[in-house]
Amino acid sequence: MIEAIIVFSIFALLLGLVLGFSAKKFKVKGNPLVEQINSILPQTQCGQCTYAGCKPYAEAIAKGEAKINQCPPGGQEGVDALADLLNVDTLPLNEEHGETKPKHVVEIDEELCIGCTLCIQACPVDAILGASKVMTTVIASECTGCDLCIPVCPVDCIYLIDLKPSMDEYVPNMEKVTNV
Amino acid sequence: MITGKPILSTSNLMLQVIYGLTLGVALQFYFFGWGVIYQIALAILTGIVAEILFLKIRKKSIDVVKDNSAALTSILLAISIPSIAPWWVVVLGTSFAIIFGKQLYGGLGSNPLNPAMLGYAFLLISFPLEMTRWASSFLSFEEGLNVIFSSIHIDALSSATRLEEAKFALIEGEVFNPIQIDQTVWINLGFLVGGVYLFFMKVITWQIPMSFLVGIVVMSVLLMLIDSDHAMGPVFHLFHGATMLGAFFILTDPVSSSTTPRGRLIFGFLIGILVIIIRTYGSYPDGVAFAVLLLNIAVPLIDYYSKPKVFGR
Amino acid sequence: MSKHDFRGGVLIENPYPLKQLNVVEVPPPKKAIYLLKQREGASAKPKVKVGQKVKVGQVIAVSNNDYCVPMHSSISGVVSAIDDQPIAHSSGLKVPSISIESDGKDDWITLKGCGEEVDKCTPDEIIEKIRNAGIVGMGGAGFPAHVKIKGAQGAKTIIINATECDPATLCDDALMRKYPEEIIKGIEVLMYACQSQKAIIAVEEDKIDAIIKLNQTIKNKNISVEAVPIKYSTGAEKLLIKLLLDKVIPTGSFASSSGVLCQNIATVKAIYDAVVIGKPLVSRIVTVNGSALKNPSNYEVRIGSSFSDIVKKSKPSANPHEIRVGGMMMGVDVPDKNYSICKITSSIIVDEIKIKQKESACIRCSKCNEACPINLLPQQLFWFCKSYNTKKASSYDLQDCIECGCCSYVCPSHIPLVEYFQYGKALVKKELREQELAAKSRERYEFKEFRLDRIKQERDKMMAEKKAALKAKMAKEKDNKAKIAEALKRVNDKKK
Repeated sequence: MIEAIIVFSIFALLLGLVLGFSAKKFKVKGNPLVEQINSILPQTQCGQCTYAGCKPYAEAIAKGEAKINQCPPGGQEGVDALADLLNVDTLPLNEEHGETKPKHVVEIDEELCIGCTLCIQACPVDAILGASKVMTTVIASECTGCDLCIPVCPVDCIYLIDLKPSMDEYVPNMEKVTNV
Repeated sequence: MITGKPILSTSNLMLQVIYGLTLGVALQFYFFGWGVIYQIALAILTGIVAEILFLKIRKKSIDVVKDNSAALTSILLAISIPSIAPWWVVVLGTSFAIIFGKQLYGGLGSNPLNPAMLGYAFLLISFPLEMTRWASSFLSFEEGLNVIFSSIHIDALSSATRLEEAKFALIEGEVFNPIQIDQTVWINLGFLVGGVYLFFMKVITWQIPMSFLVGIVVMSVLLMLIDSDHAMGPVFHLFHGATMLGAFFILTDPVSSSTTPRGRLIFGFLIGILVIIIRTYGSYPDGVAFAVLLLNIAVPLIDYYSKPKVFGR
Repeated sequence: MSKHDFRGGVLIENPYPLKQLNVVEVPPPKKAIYLLKQREGASAKPKVKVGQKVKVGQVIAVSNNDYCVPMHSSISGVVSAIDDQPIAHSSGLKVPSISIESDGKDDWITLKGCGEEVDKCTPDEIIEKIRNAGIVGMGGAGFPAHVKIKGAQGAKTIIINATECDPATLCDDALMRKYPEEIIKGIEVLMYACQSQKAIIAVEEDKIDAIIKLNQTIKNKNISVEAVPIKYSTGAEKLLIKLLLDKVIPTGSFASSSGVLCQNIATVKAIYDAVVIGKPLVSRIVTVNGSALKNPSNYEVRIGSSFSDIVKKSKPSANPHEIRVGGMMMGVDVPDKNYSICKITSSIIVDEIKIKQKESACIRCSKCNEACPINLLPQQLFWFCKSYNTKKASSYDLQDCIECGCCSYVCPSHIPLVEYFQYGKALVKKELREQELAAKSRERYEFKEFRLDRIKQERDKMMAEKKAALKAKMAKEKDNKAKIAEALKRVNDKKK
């Protein structure tokens, strides 16, 4: 009886030492979780999640301060992917933060633009080209569709352009394929 | 290359396997009588009822039963157990096989373990007495009914199998002549013919039966060389017990066996070796069921490491 | 007969054998629609305006992109519309197109070719002519021929793919019987353009008449006809090269980098037309076949014609039909006949509506792996695509699938495997696209932060410098004032 207690105590002590050593030796610097969460977020930098960009939102999720369902551009798929990564239950997308709009870019109506540069300052990815009192235009290939430029324009000259579905980007409908 | 018209449906595939079993079953009937027929009938009935019950619970269409897989599992189990086993043995076994071996995992195609062997192992462990009392002579229509449903005269009609005799002989140290053309040999030959039929109908591929039989031969020869006291020799092992039934009908169950060509070779070979080891050193006379179940669990690992070489890589 | 082979493949009985293989010449249609985008990639931009008169062979659309060849009009008439028209693709989307109404005449532009002495032109000029004639791979892929040939300069062997392994498609067989001399001359043009020494024409061994005709026509000892076994998916380029030359082209690289050029036989005939005669690609042979037709046949038809033009000629039955474009095994199902013939339309199959077999559970029998010529594990890929697991599917080499359909054909559970794989591949592409977009946005965002930060730092630095300068100035002024006060004091003291 005594021998059993002694053997198990020594065992526990050894295991504890091994664990402590491993915790110190294999400690991971920084928080890789933030990077992983950030790589799932769509990088629209729109701020609809109430944080100032995708990286701050990722940091908030990692700290546990924010819920995973606050990102409309990521859609329900984004929420599910975050739930998968963090090994938690998925949530429905929180509509209070906005609805998921189809992929789009914006365009400036050059007839109405007054060159005030407010939209240039608002764009988080510098997709608008222009200067004070000079014609301003949106570089469509860099626009993420975050729509931050639309409310700041004093003459309301920025419009949404829906991107046309293309044969190259077609994803078949699985419901039609499987009939099991 | 796959030539000719491919087998056009799963239900047809299962039906062909049932046809392949006919010769072996007919020989079983010839030697042991009506008991075999009652077991098969009971098994099929129980199997289909169990499947319908569970399909209803899972809210799936009952048409699934038409794919003949429940019938096939039931028949395989029925011919693996003694023909004089009481009726509740085959009923319990088939229900367990269909429910725990197939339906609980999600139906056909989703089960990791061979359902018939799962049922057999369950029966062997739970009811060792009933599972080791084999018929000694031909049972007539009435005798069969009496024995199965009321266990009348059961002791008078039972005897041990050749494998069991071999085991006892080895333990007692008695002389035992392995080369004897007895009933099991004929039944195994019947299943061999059925298996070759399946191969030519392109229902099964050569990898599993060939590697299994090679495994049996290799291991039994090895044992003959290193431990001749316990060895019975390859010919004995090839034609006794459930070897041929296993090789062509049980191991080749597509759902639970390995899916890659190289994986199948490893799968069959390892089962062959395990079967001989269990037969020689284990406490059960025939090891096919346990060997199959053990390797079924190893299938994902075997498949992962035997991925075929893709063209161009 | 070749000694080598590739593994897998299936032997399919031809469900619609054609009794006669003569080609019916179809007069130019009254209306033609030219689709400016026939495959993935850029689409050509129209060069004509609505109301403009055009002649046969006139260029109506061009592109700066080298991977997009010009489109020519195949009828003479007036441009009636430039809009989006449906294309026979599983997405059901429309692509930019030009519609032309015929003027009833068949006015051609003046044709200027190299003539029979092809070596008057340099290989580069020949490749230029091939591009300007709008020639693409006519076997079904539609890859620009001039890009392939440019990349295959110095290829030792040219393989002419006349295997036509899809059972229902018989247009190449008809082409070989009708134009053997043009084909051989086209091969010689190709051999000159690539400086190749050898050309092999691969034909399925049951196309006996075609083989005989070709053998009778060949005078060049560097061109030979090779009869290949009738096995489906022999026509896939990499598999054919394995069968004929026992060479395995590694994944991700082209045949041209291994010194082999493979071209479809109809493409070769179009090259002859373009280089020797100067005729651009304006017509092709299309097989119209199927169980609902009384007169299935091969038709030589102008590109841009409507499907209904030639299907009518084959006398379809009155019952509702299923229409499949592009072959029995790899084709696309379309709902009606309102599509126009492209450069890559090889066959139109019109069938009575069949009851579709219901998909049942996969039993992991692995017949699909037995049939797969690429030695993939279709049953595993099926499970992964079904559960949206793109990572695992890619690790099991989903991208190597050639979508031949051998696996779907042999599956006892009637699982439409190729459709699952197409879905999986589209998902993988979508994820890649989104990742690239997100990475680009993140980079721009981080640069913007950096830029604003830099502006702030520069401003702070400038302010600090100004402050320091001001301080120094004030200190100097104070110093000066103190000196003046001192001097004044001295003066005052002296006065006293």
